[in-house]
Amino acid sequence: MTRPRLSTLAIIVAALAVVPLAGLSGSLLNLMIFMMIIALAAQGWNILGGYAGLSSFGHAAFFGAGAYAMVVLQTRFGVNAWIALVIGIALGALVGAFIGFLSFRSGLKGSYFALITLAFAEVARILANSTNFTGGAAGILLKLQTGLPYLQFADRRYFLLIALGFVAIGLLVSWWLEHSRFGAYLVALRENEQAAQALGVDVFAVKMKAIAISGALTAAAGCLYAQNYLFIDANVAFGSWISIEALFAAIVGGSGTVIGPLLGAIVLLGLGELTKMVSGGIPGMDLLVFGVILVLSVAYSPNGLVMLMKSLGLRAPAKAREA
Amino acid sequence: MTRHQKSLSRRTVLKSSVALTSMLAAPGLLRAEPAPVKVGLLQPISGAFALDGDLAKIGAEFAIKEINDAGGIKALGGAKLELVIGDSRSNAEAGAQATEELQSAGVAAVLGGFASGITLTATQTAARYDLPFVVDCAVADTITDRGLKNTFRFNPNFSMATAVALKNLVKLNDDAGKPIKTVAIVHEDGLFGSGLAKIMQEKLPPLGFQIVETIAHPTPARDMTNVVLRLRALNPDLIVPSHYFNEFVLMARTLQQQRVRPKGIYAVFGGAASSYRFVNEFPEAAQGVMDCNHWGDPKSPITAKLRETVTAAGKFYAYNTPINYSLVKVFAQAVEKAGSADRAKIIEALAANEFDSGIMPYGKTKFDAKGQNSSALPLNTQVQGKDIKVIYPAEYADAKPVFPING
Repeated sequence: MTRPRLSTLAIIVAALAVVPLAGLSGSLLNLMIFMMIIALAAQGWNILGGYAGLSSFGHAAFFGAGAYAMVVLQTRFGVNAWIALVIGIALGALVGAFIGFLSFRSGLKGSYFALITLAFAEVARILANSTNFTGGAAGILLKLQTGLPYLQFADRRYFLLIALGFVAIGLLVSWWLEHSRFGAYLVALRENEQAAQALGVDVFAVKMKAIAISGALTAAAGCLYAQNYLFIDANVAFGSWISIEALFAAIVGGSGTVIGPLLGAIVLLGLGELTKMVSGGIPGMDLLVFGVILVLSVAYSPNGLVMLMKSLGLRAPAKAREA
Repeated sequence: MTRHQKSLSRRTVLKSSVALTSMLAAPGLLRAEPAPVKVGLLQPISGAFALDGDLAKIGAEFAIKEINDAGGIKALGGAKLELVIGDSRSNAEAGAQATEELQSAGVAAVLGGFASGITLTATQTAARYDLPFVVDCAVADTITDRGLKNTFRFNPNFSMATAVALKNLVKLNDDAGKPIKTVAIVHEDGLFGSGLAKIMQEKLPPLGFQIVETIAHPTPARDMTNVVLRLRALNPDLIVPSHYFNEFVLMARTLQQQRVRPKGIYAVFGGAASSYRFVNEFPEAAQGVMDCNHWGDPKSPITAKLRETVTAAGKFYAYNTPINYSLVKVFAQAVEKAGSADRAKIIEALAANEFDSGIMPYGKTKFDAKGQNSSALPLNTQVQGKDIKVIYPAEYADAKPVFPING
């Protein structure tokens, strides 16, 4: 389960792609799109936090970079939505490299790295909130215009498929990490950085690559968010909510695993929606139920749902792995 | 909506016997009941703005009951209105999601929105389905600037409200013999606070006011001591605050503690200035605070009734209740004029007609080409004793302004 085959991934993606064809209601479709966006952000977080062991509290910085690039390029410079998407993703990688360069050069890790990423995201939020270029506190709106060139569709299933496509790329990247030398380097420096360095791993370069890939994936999630909701402001794009959603989904699903972030996003958001349905008319009750379930699930599967499924399932050979 | 005839099943018999019994109990209603018109109310029922959502719901429910008791929608053979609540959970994604749910529930229109961020995403979601959306107190100008055919706003927007606020501030100052020369602006750094501060910085100096300082703070802020100490050093004649409820209360209390006594506190859409909770909990700090805000007509008898209902529910009255009451009333008139619960016809009716504004002081509501109610008007209020009184404009005022408050 922790090292799925490519065919398993293909089946998961195909299954998710078939669901919207079954004729979902608008609200379910909307929920699925949101799930995919969070899954993608969590996949980005997972590269850095899960595989490389560099937990970030500030993935909002990448998410927001993507979201703002998407909206600012389209509204201010009239750039085509698809090109804006590519630039947004590239910008995410660049922001990742920037933050990575500054913090890895000074050898920050553990809670210090978490705090510095949080600080970067907050600085970005305050800047975006106060400069006119980003629309200031009023945020920016994208015009509602459907059609392929605008990356907005009257039938939202197309958008879901695009989001799913990105999630599939995220799965592939994680799969590649599990099977490549680069991924092995990441795990090595997570487990013992000094040992990895002693064995000749260029720790700085590996970390830089990891944070750039991580930033790019999470920025893609930001782009899709902006394109789906057509409105962002500083608190939406750079707010701590997305940093939390991203790390939450990855950790609950199983950090450092291929399908953990996707599983986590689906379960968390699905659970949220489910509790909303069963909790009746009492306002806020669903959030309470959700909180309790969350505490229980973290208490009983601290290594993530993927690990829980594994231990419940086919008693795989004891491959002790701390996540 | 049509009802299909089905063969007689046990359930049908049960249902009809229940219906028959109720009809016998109320012989005046002995006629076929037309399908109800579902109306969606999008409000923050949970989350940071839950108090506001709750107050809005009370207003809307009150209006629905009033309309239904008076025989429902006449143009649809007395069809009843049925309220469907969408909880926006005080955030933008959940607002879009709740709008989708209202759409699935088959509502004829969505009313409400409350905050600008939520309203911006929710109205766009509704636009995908050509679902009419009448916005309540969300004030961002951009809401009606996007050319969305389905979107209308009942309340004044930011520009309209600040224009009125400035006009009345000048009048207030002139009437009292121009006691105000210096002004300090204290604002939260979000959309609402910084937007307002920017307008004030532009518009106040040409009107003869000198701005001595503009102080920004984040929301939430837990301590206002530094801000207030700065104000004490500057000693401005007037403080223009713009923040949300908690920060407003905090600042007013700290001003009181530090014995900073400006000649006036003049808020625009002040977070607490027109809240009975503030007045009840901190009457001394609230004394004399002025606000320019959404406010129901104090002279309408329904205002008193709404206040009673809210107070009886153990809550503090605020503007959300009269606004949403009036919003439902406007919607009901639109359905009457459209003669149908069809969405396109309702949009057409909203765009083409004039409406009574319920208990809001708007005279006849008329939506302009952008969907903004061009008659919308904020009122100036002041905390006097244990009450919030309207001081401007004269036709709605129920008290004279007390100004300057500290000699």
